[in-house]
Amino acid sequence: MTTKPQVEAPRSDLTAVETRSRLEAILDLSRDGILAISQDGIITGWNRSAERIYGYPAEAIIGKPLATLVPSDRLHELSTIYPAIARGTTIDEFETVRLRSDGTPIDVSLSIAPIRDERRRVTGSLVIMRENSAIRQALKEAEQTSAKLSDRERMLRRALLALRQSHEEAKTAQLQLVQAAKLESIGRLAAGVAHEVKNPLAVILFAIDYLADTITAPDENTATALTDAREAVMRADSVIRGLLDFSTATELSPTMQDVNEVLGRALQLVRHALTKAHVLAIEEFEDDLPDAMLDRNKIEQVFVNLMINAIDAMPSGGTLVIRTRRDRLTDVGQDVGVRKTDQLRVGQSVIVVEVEDTGTGIDEACRARLFDPFFTTKPPGKGTGLGLAVCKSIVALHGGTIRIANKEGGGGTRAAVIFRSIRSKEVKGDG
Amino acid sequence: MDKIRVLLVDDEPSFTRMLKISLERRGFKVMVENNGAYALTIARDFLPDFIFLDVIMPDVDGGEVAAKIRSDPKFKDVPIVFLTAGVSKETTRIKGDVIGGQTYLAKPTTVDEVVACIEKKLGKKTGATS
Repeated sequence: MTTKPQVEAPRSDLTAVETRSRLEAILDLSRDGILAISQDGIITGWNRSAERIYGYPAEAIIGKPLATLVPSDRLHELSTIYPAIARGTTIDEFETVRLRSDGTPIDVSLSIAPIRDERRRVTGSLVIMRENSAIRQALKEAEQTSAKLSDRERMLRRALLALRQSHEEAKTAQLQLVQAAKLESIGRLAAGVAHEVKNPLAVILFAIDYLADTITAPDENTATALTDAREAVMRADSVIRGLLDFSTATELSPTMQDVNEVLGRALQLVRHALTKAHVLAIEEFEDDLPDAMLDRNKIEQVFVNLMINAIDAMPSGGTLVIRTRRDRLTDVGQDVGVRKTDQLRVGQSVIVVEVEDTGTGIDEACRARLFDPFFTTKPPGKGTGLGLAVCKSIVALHGGTIRIANKEGGGGTRAAVIFRSIRSKEVKGDG
Repeated sequence: MDKIRVLLVDDEPSFTRMLKISLERRGFKVMVENNGAYALTIARDFLPDFIFLDVIMPDVDGGEVAAKIRSDPKFKDVPIVFLTAGVSKETTRIKGDVIGGQTYLAKPTTVDEVVACIEKKLGKKTGATS
């Protein structure tokens, strides 16, 4: 059996008193304002909700024209509403503005239906008025909440970005600390080892010289032994001297330098190596580069080192491109941060020196260890594995950084040295 | 012609021994002192034309020894060259063979370089270069 909702059946035996009582109850209980308007626009009925919404008690408003509730700039609405009601038209949810008793405007939605007599003639109208302020307020609050949420989201995104940056910086700082600790201990070790090893090396070298002097007609094996021994001493000495560069790399004598000029001089120093290796050098120097505060000799050492590495990477010849350009740091990354204490910061103007070769490039495993002391890919006797470690240390002392990567699309390596530019040439000499 | 007299002051006996026999073979007269504190006394006795001084020695450093020797008018013009083990490749390339107004030779060095240094300082060929 299906249960249907219980709906009271219409009764034809309701008395006029009962009907009136029911209507009054409906009027009183309604949360909407309900007004009765005569055909000539006079308010004839006014329920409790209308009192609450408009602020007028029934006795103060009944008998007054409907226009009492209408703002002056909305009076024209009445000339449309009255004729429509007179024609018996129903108006549904007409959005407009009305006035409270204190003169404050109130957003309302009006539904208007004609009141008819027993002969179906229109004698007035019934207005049901719903306050929109609450809805509007709710909408406004929703908009505000949404705006706040958007703000929060933006803040969170910024916080996330800052967090990522801090993470990158922390990683960089940690690497720098590890590197600095390594370099410092190697520096200390180097100074001690140098003294203890160089004396024996000197003795061996003198002994070799002596033997070479005294053996008047050495056979082939003796001559080879003497030559190899001499070369071994020189190689050991080269490692020790490289180590000593560490211990002295901490002292700088910086002056204002034209980077192009320093680079040009370094290029002159490797001319012989270029010719020997059949490597063509191309200079792409940006004109009017700002100056930088550099220890000329040490930076020249860095440039020479990078060029020699590039030349060594092209045993069958190739092209060495030496490029200078000015740039602006845009991203947090290796040795580049956003804090005031960072030597290189996002937004800073910098000078970039690039040394490019057309060799075979470097694999990932090597790239991670490039700046490690004693790491070398060169054959025994060709490199000490200290060159790039010294370069990094020197450039770091200048507040700069070195980045080494394979060129986009392969076919060689690009080393980029980044320095802060100090001032433009126009003000050079101002002190 | 009298032999050029070279005084070697270095605390490393094997080093001075090897350099001594190498230089003697090239025609120099060589005196060795392994204790820097006695350098001046030996110099007064030996009257060297040229002095090599170690920089780092146990009791006294080469700078102090040089100052003492220079304080004696007899050695006012005698060239003094320091032999040092504490020089990097970079220092050698940039500063040549003069640091703080003093000439030095970086260990290890060849006998030829030692002889060339003596000839340069004394302004004459000794004929000892091989």
